[in-house]
This record gives sequence, structure tokens and C-alpha cells, in this order.
Amino acid sequence: MAEVVLAYCSSHAPMMSSAREAAPKEQRDNFLGALEAIKQQAQELDVQACVFLSNEHFTNFFLENFPQICVGVGERNWGPTEEWLPIDKVWIPGHEGLANHIMRHTLDNGFDPAFSHQLELDHGIMTVYYELDEDMKLPLVPIVMNCAVPPLMPVWRWYEFGKQLGAAIRSFDGLERVAVVGCGGLSHWIGNPRVGDINEEFDRWFCERLERGEIDQVLDMPDSEIELAGNGNHEMRTWVAVAGVMGGAPADVLAYEPIAPWITGMAVAQWDTGRGTGRRAGNTAGAAPKSPVAAGD
Amino acid sequence: MSLYQLNRAVYDWIRAGEVNSDAEGDGRAGFDVSRYDLTDDERKAFDGKDVAAFYQMGLHEVLINRFARAAGYARDDYRKILEPFGKPEERRGRWQK
Repeated sequence: MAEVVLAYCSSHAPMMSSAREAAPKEQRDNFLGALEAIKQQAQELDVQACVFLSNEHFTNFFLENFPQICVGVGERNWGPTEEWLPIDKVWIPGHEGLANHIMRHTLDNGFDPAFSHQLELDHGIMTVYYELDEDMKLPLVPIVMNCAVPPLMPVWRWYEFGKQLGAAIRSFDGLERVAVVGCGGLSHWIGNPRVGDINEEFDRWFCERLERGEIDQVLDMPDSEIELAGNGNHEMRTWVAVAGVMGGAPADVLAYEPIAPWITGMAVAQWDTGRGTGRRAGNTAGAAPKSPVAAGD
Repeated sequence: MSLYQLNRAVYDWIRAGEVNSDAEGDGRAGFDVSRYDLTDDERKAFDGKDVAAFYQMGLHEVLINRFARAAGYARDDYRKILEPFGKPEERRGRWQK
């Protein structure tokens, strides 16, 4: 059976690729250093495939038909679509076996995800996937989530979906080592008068909940409250889903930087999968040895 | 006539310029907006790349962001354009001390 050997979440501001140098060096190094450490772990663990969860930014779906969840079940997907994003536009291999197993398992266990045999992947997945595998050859099962167009699936249901996603991966007998990655958030505003603002207080509070294993404290958060940390903060659902995959276990926040030029509270958190990943497991390669969460208090 | 039509027109314009699996991303130049059922004001906003008008009309904020980027607005510039429409936030979240 497959094992989730790597589980982490990362913010996905497109500027981490398109305006990389615009961020102050220390902030950039802290954030990207955490992703580099995870990349090294993925190579050491010989990850065979990855499942990525991210927001649908009107790249595949529009108002005629907008699924809350869509699993990419095809043999390949395309990305990135943004003409200005400096990542090669390529076909990315999917993993049909794992993707269809996720579909079957979640349909049998209380969810009705849509599926797609060919997704177009935007910065939401591609920025973070590229930091994991710049060759873009690692088989990828994309799961696009509605984090932008009301009505949205409530946060607690994303946690429950994550639990079923974890059970699906762990009951798949076609692979042994799988990574699960959530992409998006934390606080940011787009397309409105507050674009550029960052709510550092929310970001640090949310990261503390992850580190303490207190994800239950966010599961009843209504959309109106989530939006106090920005309309882009709905993407915290991707983090909640991965927390569900990991059963609500505490996570290690490897980096948190409110990066103004990237208009986003940029964080990386990782769960201990029992394979030596995360700070709790003693792995500090390339990442901060102490939690960065309380740095601004 | 409906906000849906304006959202659809802007969405199609954005996508026409992207590098999708079946398109090279050069489709914005000849984009025909006349096939959408827009009001005069909506058409004027589209032709003028008027981000402030889009915001006031209620265009989806994800589309405003993508449109602004594709239309060449620097982020700071489009914030300045939208800032006059901001309202003070009085609500508080559970994380606020």
C-alpha cells in the first residue's frame, strides 16, 4: 500500500517565480530555503508521485459550471498557463491509477468530486511543484478546489475531505511513496482596494494552530471571518485539507515571512510522516531550527 | 445586460492571451467583444480597460486581478485606482487580541 511519506503546505504567490528578486533577501531565503529542504527530502525519500491541492483561479472552470472539488485523472496535464510566469510550459505527467483510486474512494465515502481528464495548471500548483521538481517529471495528481467563488464548501468539510484523501492514498496498492502538498494562502487580498495588505496577526495565529495541533479551532470559521485576512485567505482550505490527510497532527512551520513585494503572508509548514520529515523529527536541513511563528510577537 | 456577460467577456479575453494546451496565447489582439451582451457602460469599461469601473460594477475580484495583470497595470497602480472605494473594516476575527 502507498504511504504518505511527505506532507506539506506552501503559499503560492506567483511572484515567488515572476518577481523572485523583489523580495528582501532574508525573507526570500527563509521561504525558499524551506522549500529547498523539502525538495531534498523528497529526493532522499524517492517520492514516486505527488498529490497537489490548490485553488481554481478561473483557469479550468467558469460560472457555467464550477465544481467545489475536481480531481485530475488524466495521463497528463498542462501548465503553467500564465504567459508571464517564467516556468517552461510543458505537459506534466499525471498518475491515472492513483487519481482514479482517489475518485472511487472519495465517491464511496461521502464526497462527490468532479473529475477532469485534462487540467490546465496555473501558478497555484505550478510555482510550488516547480520548487519540488524543476524538471517537472514527477507524476502529479492535481486536485483543484473552489476557494474563490461563493458558495464555498465550508472549512470543516475540507478537513473531512482531507481525511478521506489520506485514506484513499494509503489504500492504493500501485505506489509506495506519495507526497501530499497544499498550495495557497496565507493572508492576501487581490482585485480590491486592499491588494498588497498582509494580515500578519492572522497568519501567525493560524500557524500556531497548526503547530499546536489545534486545527479544530479553524474548522467552524465562516467565510465572512476568513475574509478579514483577505479574499485570498480562502485558500487556507488547502492547508486544512492536508491537515485532514495527517489526521490533525501538529505541523512544523518551517518558514513564515510577510513578503510585501509578493503581497502575501508566505509560509511553509510540514508534517512529520514518520520518515524523518519536519523539525520534530530532527530534520532541520535548510530550515529554521526554531519555529518562526512567534517571531513578530 | 447581466454581470455574467461582463465576467464572461473579461474571462475569455484573459484566457485568449494565455499559453494554454491548445493555444499559443496571441488571441487578445483580435478579440471580438461585440459577441457579448454588454451594456454601453460595460462595453466602455472593457474598451477602456477601466479597472475602477469593473470594481464598481461587481466584476469578480479574481478576474479584476488577472485582468489588471494582463492589461499591464502595475500592482501598486491598480491599488491606487481602487483605494478610493475601500471601506474601513470594523469586524474582528477570533485571532485578534
